[in-house]
Amino acid sequence: MPARPGTYDPPMTATAAVPNAFAATVHWLGGWWRMVHLGAVLLVLAGSPSSYARDNRRLLLRQLHESTSPHLLGFTVLTTLVSLVLIRIVVVTAVSYGLSQYALEMVVRVLVLELIPLTAALFAALRCTIPHAAAMAVAWRAPGGDRADPLRNEVLPRVAAGVFCALMFAAVSCVVALVLAYLSVYGFSTAGFPGYTRTVGHVFDPAISLVFGLKIVLFGIAVALVPAAAALDDARESRAAAQLHGLVRMFAVILLIEAAALVGSYG
Amino acid sequence: MIDQRSTAPSATVEVKAALLLALFVVLVAGTALYLLYARGAFERTQTLVLNADDAEGVRVGMDLTFSGFPIGRVRRIELSPTGTARIVVDVPRDDSKWLRTSSVFTLVRGIVGGATLRAYSGVLADPPLPDGAERPVLIGDTNAELPRVVGAARELLQNLTALTASDAALAESLENVRTTTGKLNGPGGAMGVITGDAAQARQLGAALARTNALLARLDGIAARADAQLLGAGGVVPESRAAVVQLTAMLADARATLKNVDAVLAEAQAVATNTRAATNDLDALRGEVDATVRKVERLVDEVNRKWPFKRDAEVKLK
Repeated sequence: MPARPGTYDPPMTATAAVPNAFAATVHWLGGWWRMVHLGAVLLVLAGSPSSYARDNRRLLLRQLHESTSPHLLGFTVLTTLVSLVLIRIVVVTAVSYGLSQYALEMVVRVLVLELIPLTAALFAALRCTIPHAAAMAVAWRAPGGDRADPLRNEVLPRVAAGVFCALMFAAVSCVVALVLAYLSVYGFSTAGFPGYTRTVGHVFDPAISLVFGLKIVLFGIAVALVPAAAALDDARESRAAAQLHGLVRMFAVILLIEAAALVGSYG
Repeated sequence: MIDQRSTAPSATVEVKAALLLALFVVLVAGTALYLLYARGAFERTQTLVLNADDAEGVRVGMDLTFSGFPIGRVRRIELSPTGTARIVVDVPRDDSKWLRTSSVFTLVRGIVGGATLRAYSGVLADPPLPDGAERPVLIGDTNAELPRVVGAARELLQNLTALTASDAALAESLENVRTTTGKLNGPGGAMGVITGDAAQARQLGAALARTNALLARLDGIAARADAQLLGAGGVVPESRAAVVQLTAMLADARATLKNVDAVLAEAQAVATNTRAATNDLDALRGEVDATVRKVERLVDEVNRKWPFKRDAEVKLK
């Protein structure tokens, strides 16, 4: 049945609805599978020594530098400002309720364990991985050109750089937040260092530390891989649709990782 | 298609990337080492086992405090073969000096926050607590006291409710008090409250009036009695004067008696002399008798011999 004037698709009929829904589900699941497959392929390539040949290593290091260095200082300043405000709010509120002994632990748990990994990953996605994905989409769809082993030469460096960018942002902002928390509570004095260290050690028990590390790594992989997989997905007709789909899928994955981390930490 | 920026000098970029990697490694390694240090992985510790009936609220990693300072950390919580809870605490060697064989350990569960493990060492001169020592822990649970307090409060409220019910004794008593105060403020006043009705109140009033009159009369009697007793010329002044006179008389009598004593003394002396004189008088009388007899004999002799004798006799005519 042809499409009516003014519409793109032919009208849905009852007999065509079920096969269309099944096809959409299959297509949706296929998209997820292609993403996981891409991730597996890139993991194999990352573990392969040939990926670190001289030319490839040069590409990788260049991508690492260009993805992280221009944004590191700005992100550090931003994290410093936001952390200062949040720490001040938490400490003053706790003191006003007579719960000052819990202020520091709350700052570490909320800011360092939860907020900073998420903000670092989102910032890396915004400044690094999404533009990389857009560039890869353009390159992937360009007719002709040099596409000798594009996964090893183009995709792997960018994805690895995206992961590194998220990890680097998280590491720097965590250290900055810990230092600011100490300075906000104890000032420029070393008298509170033993108590502060004890509090941090109390928060970062082995289970929490493991979940924290895994969360940061998975966030980095999610923000780097998902947009790249969406950009390289040949099943999408348009680049814009692919980018939008990648964003939605990335947020969904981030949400799942965060939920799993919360269950692992506090469940 | 390769990004045009990749045609920039690669050596500088590689160095910067290497530095970035190094910075990342330093940050991660430093953080890991700091966390290990914070967890006490690099300090020597000794083990302390605390036995408790109930380890609820105790978490792995919580502190054992001494005078408010953390000196140990819970490493493990397990059940003993006897069913009690065993709390295994790691105490750094540097802080183990605060624990002695006489130290007391408490587990306090407050309303806000979790449980706290505390150590108290009253005598720091006692021997230090050995490694692996087992000690009982005293438990204080505020939340466990709450049901008791709530139960007591509920019972109190029930009692108060029963006490303040409309048909309770207190309500009846208050009603009686109100009735009484109403009567007090009424025309009968306190008299009406005491007697109960107006007739008896009037009788009581009359009795009071009569009592007042009687008292007035008694006042007059008392006044007159005062005058009689205490007034001028009354019993008391007269008695007082009599007593004064009697005293004077007694004084005179005393003086007289003294004189009598003197007289008696003289009389006694006189009597003594008289006795002596009596004895002499007896002798003298004897002699006088003898003399008189002689004189009588002499007279008789004279008479016999005198011619002018006359009869001396009395005759009735």
